[in-house]
Amino acid sequence: MPILMEKTYHISSIDELQSLANTLLDVCKSARKFAFYGEIGAGKTTFIKLICQALGVKNLVSSPTFSIINEYETAVAPIYHIDLYRLKTEEEAFNIHLFEYLDSPNYCFIEWPEIIEHYLPEDTVKIKVNTIDEFSRTFLIQAIDHDQTPDSNS
Amino acid sequence: MKPIIILGIESSCDDTAAAIWNGTQMLSNVVASQEVHKAYGGVVPEVASRAHQVHIVPVVDEALKQAGVKKEDISGIAFTRGPGLMGSLMVGVSFSKAFALGMDIPMLEVNHLQAHILAHFIDDPKPNFPFLCLTVSGGHTQIVQVNNYLEMEVLGTTIDDAAGEAFDKTGKLLGLDYPAGPIIDRLAQQGKPVFDFPEPRIEALDFSFSGLKTSILYFVRKKEKENPNFIQENIHDICASVQDRIIRILMNKLVLASKQTGIREIAISGGVSANSELRTSLVSLGEQENWNTYIPKMAYCTDNAAMIAITGYYKFLRKEFANQDIAPLARYKF
Repeated sequence: MPILMEKTYHISSIDELQSLANTLLDVCKSARKFAFYGEIGAGKTTFIKLICQALGVKNLVSSPTFSIINEYETAVAPIYHIDLYRLKTEEEAFNIHLFEYLDSPNYCFIEWPEIIEHYLPEDTVKIKVNTIDEFSRTFLIQAIDHDQTPDSNS
Repeated sequence: MKPIIILGIESSCDDTAAAIWNGTQMLSNVVASQEVHKAYGGVVPEVASRAHQVHIVPVVDEALKQAGVKKEDISGIAFTRGPGLMGSLMVGVSFSKAFALGMDIPMLEVNHLQAHILAHFIDDPKPNFPFLCLTVSGGHTQIVQVNNYLEMEVLGTTIDDAAGEAFDKTGKLLGLDYPAGPIIDRLAQQGKPVFDFPEPRIEALDFSFSGLKTSILYFVRKKEKENPNFIQENIHDICASVQDRIIRILMNKLVLASKQTGIREIAISGGVSANSELRTSLVSLGEQENWNTYIPKMAYCTDNAAMIAITGYYKFLRKEFANQDIAPLARYKF
């Protein structure tokens, strides 16, 4: 049976955030969908930028708040950086063909996913950013682990 | 000789728009609105491609009607190829292909950001080449050196948030409605920039607004601990301070760009050009720095099809036609 993994990381520098980006990709090797929660200024875009760099994106990674979906190129496949901040209803998410992106085998990094919470694929990795003060954050990472069953773990 | 008449189509983001340019004059410039739609008995859906599909035919119809032009008179159809939201771009591109095929006229593919710049050539006064253009909108912030109509070089761009987004998101932190840019502009007029927010240290001509957002968040939080009504009591001064900082970031880079290139013809474009303080700052900075400054009229600053039509016109003159196999580009560099 799949189990829910949950781990909290305390981050107080951009270097630590970079190493968390690498850790996340390493720990969640098979995951392709990642949802990011946290208030304005928490650092969601900054973290995604570092993850994209770790995945070999050469394009400029910038905020998709206005464009809603940014596409970045890698040597392997495109990466979708999605921001649902401006959406007001689930229907709008359908109207922009969001689920075609989520159904693709490619990486999707989603900011402000609350509006489509119920439609996120089951194996979406959830990253919850909590701001402690101006310079430090906690990152709670939740992932459903299909490979590690309680049996194989024991 | 028959005049060259270009139909422009814009559907890269939220607005569906159509415009008609006859080589010397913009005959119509229509953006989908409740009014346009009421005439056709429809309701206006919200963001994205479904809305564009519903809007596009009525908007083109209205543009033809206002211009007093028949579709048989159109010499070429120009459309936004990118950058933008794929599903939205697709509607404009598909419409344009069908129209071009049906009317047997050439297609002209247009980069939305180049079009923002060429909006300066719709009315007088027009900038002289080479000039620098600062394009500022909800999704874009860049400084471009424009050597000729279609020869442009991006000198600097935002590495995170756009200037318009900085307005909207700080507005959200202050409890203002979205989009907050115009609200901040209005509130700031009764305030003074008494609060100082740090200028980001970003190399060369690039911009960053993400750190500003965070520093405003913590500034407000700290002040609210001392006084829970801090925002309400100081909203005018906070807005004036936020606006002042965003505009000074933009202006400082323009000064740097002008110094580096020696160019004194300075233009701004994009939706944030509506900001009254930005307009005032550009004009007074222009007097101080001995620049000629240019700001298009408002309807040509926000997303519109007039700028697509005029860009298409310059491509038409150069016979830079697109083929039926052309696809939209979500990312489109120039």
